[in-house]
Amino acid sequence: MRDVYIIGTGISPWLGFSEQVFTNFGTVAVDNALKDADIEWKQIQAIMAGIFGWGGNAGLLSGQYQESVFGETGVPVINVYNACATGTAALQMAYNSVASGQTDTALAFGADVSPKGFFAAKTDDAVQDRDVIRWKMVGMPNPVFWALECRKRMAKYGTTEEDLALVKVVMSEYGSKNPGARFKKAYTLEEVLASAYVVDPLRLYMICPVATGAAAAIVTADKKLISKADKPVKINAVTMGSAMYGDPTIRIGVVSCPAVPEAPLLSESYSASRQCYEKAGIGPEDVEYFELPDNSSWHYLVYLECCGFCEEGGADKMLRDGETKIDGRLPTNLSGGFSSHGEAVAAQALWQVIECANQLRGRCGERQVQKKMKVAMAQTYGVMGNSGTTILTI
Amino acid sequence: MGNVSNMVARIPGLIDWWSTGEVRLMSAKCNSCNTYFFPKEHYQHRPGCSREGVEDVLFPNKGKLASYVIMRYTPPPPFKFEQSIVPYGIGLVEFENERIQVAGIITDTDLKSLELGMKMETVTLRMFTNDEKQDVVTWAFRAVK
Repeated sequence: MRDVYIIGTGISPWLGFSEQVFTNFGTVAVDNALKDADIEWKQIQAIMAGIFGWGGNAGLLSGQYQESVFGETGVPVINVYNACATGTAALQMAYNSVASGQTDTALAFGADVSPKGFFAAKTDDAVQDRDVIRWKMVGMPNPVFWALECRKRMAKYGTTEEDLALVKVVMSEYGSKNPGARFKKAYTLEEVLASAYVVDPLRLYMICPVATGAAAAIVTADKKLISKADKPVKINAVTMGSAMYGDPTIRIGVVSCPAVPEAPLLSESYSASRQCYEKAGIGPEDVEYFELPDNSSWHYLVYLECCGFCEEGGADKMLRDGETKIDGRLPTNLSGGFSSHGEAVAAQALWQVIECANQLRGRCGERQVQKKMKVAMAQTYGVMGNSGTTILTI
Repeated sequence: MGNVSNMVARIPGLIDWWSTGEVRLMSAKCNSCNTYFFPKEHYQHRPGCSREGVEDVLFPNKGKLASYVIMRYTPPPPFKFEQSIVPYGIGLVEFENERIQVAGIITDTDLKSLELGMKMETVTLRMFTNDEKQDVVTWAFRAVK
């Protein structure tokens, strides 16, 4: 396998709902990635596209639709969907294509237009699509699953409402310094605690919204392209995980879960991260910067534990002690996280990788970690046991 | 609860209120890996299981509250309820012997009384009336008094 580097990244700034088609956002992201890599469209030898789940046939074939905007060149175009880990899957395919020598330079991208409000069922067929059961019989938007887990955590480890609110305070502090963030207001603890409950114990500012956005990354093993790139970032490993038998998490899309744990909570993310540590030969003790999927305040806490940065139940203390802040042991989500952006399903995992790359490349302005960093990690979370982990070095 | 003879589940194959005189959820048990599934088609076999001997079973009527949340907003369609019931609870009820937890609406209106570990029973809950004037129901849980 050859060493693979990210030489160009691009995003289309995150928005709320838009009337525009997803390829318009994808075009902005891909254009920015091409400019960053300083290469031409014709140098892309493979396109690995994140499927836009709300876009009908065009969304399913997002790579083909995006390719035609820039000009069809006959290269392989593969579309992939792994819920919110879709972007990691696209990146892994681009990485594999280049590492294996099938191609020298490949594009991974995802573009998503927010469906407005809570994500809802995609079909009406409960036999074919059991996801319909949670909507029709219980009425469970995604935050209900997170709140059910959050309540368990509060009872088990003593996580308080203040801890949950502090996540938003920290996220919004960095979001306010990120020119690309959709929400730029810095919140106080009192303001977060005064926001309305959506699904108690989670309040409005403890849950990320849905969003529109696009992200693209160009990866290569071409030594000439690497040498002329601005601070290329090496992909040490990019891995996908799925759930493990006996995982006690109440998983989005399902109305039951095991009562007796035989696997870790969020086992898909445990699996993805452990595979990544092993393949990269880099452990959590080596990671200097971390982007985690803060879909809710509960996620922020549990992901620090799930990925091995502290023991179970230890994340609240990490947060309170400032260990995840810009000058802490493990600066985390200095992007402002999904909390300041919202989730754009097909794009968000790639966006997390790009935020990590930006920190390693020293491009983060006011929210740039000052100490020199070599290792960053992006961790995703997705519906129905989807997850991906990416470890980058510079 | 409405008139039992005039009740129809919004999605069939999930709730049984006629076999035993109690409202019970319809599960399947794998006799090879000893795993219970809900819904019964949501197979979750232990890796390496032969998957032989899966039989339909009913969960007991009663379990204990393993987690709960309080809904402050009505979910979007296809959730459908004749009237707003906000705020209301959604709980995870654990059936201990079956080693499974199941999510469902909590019908208790005194939300302050909800406590982890409390005993819950399975009931039917009318969501709306259909064109045939039948009560369309789902499963739900309520505290055992």
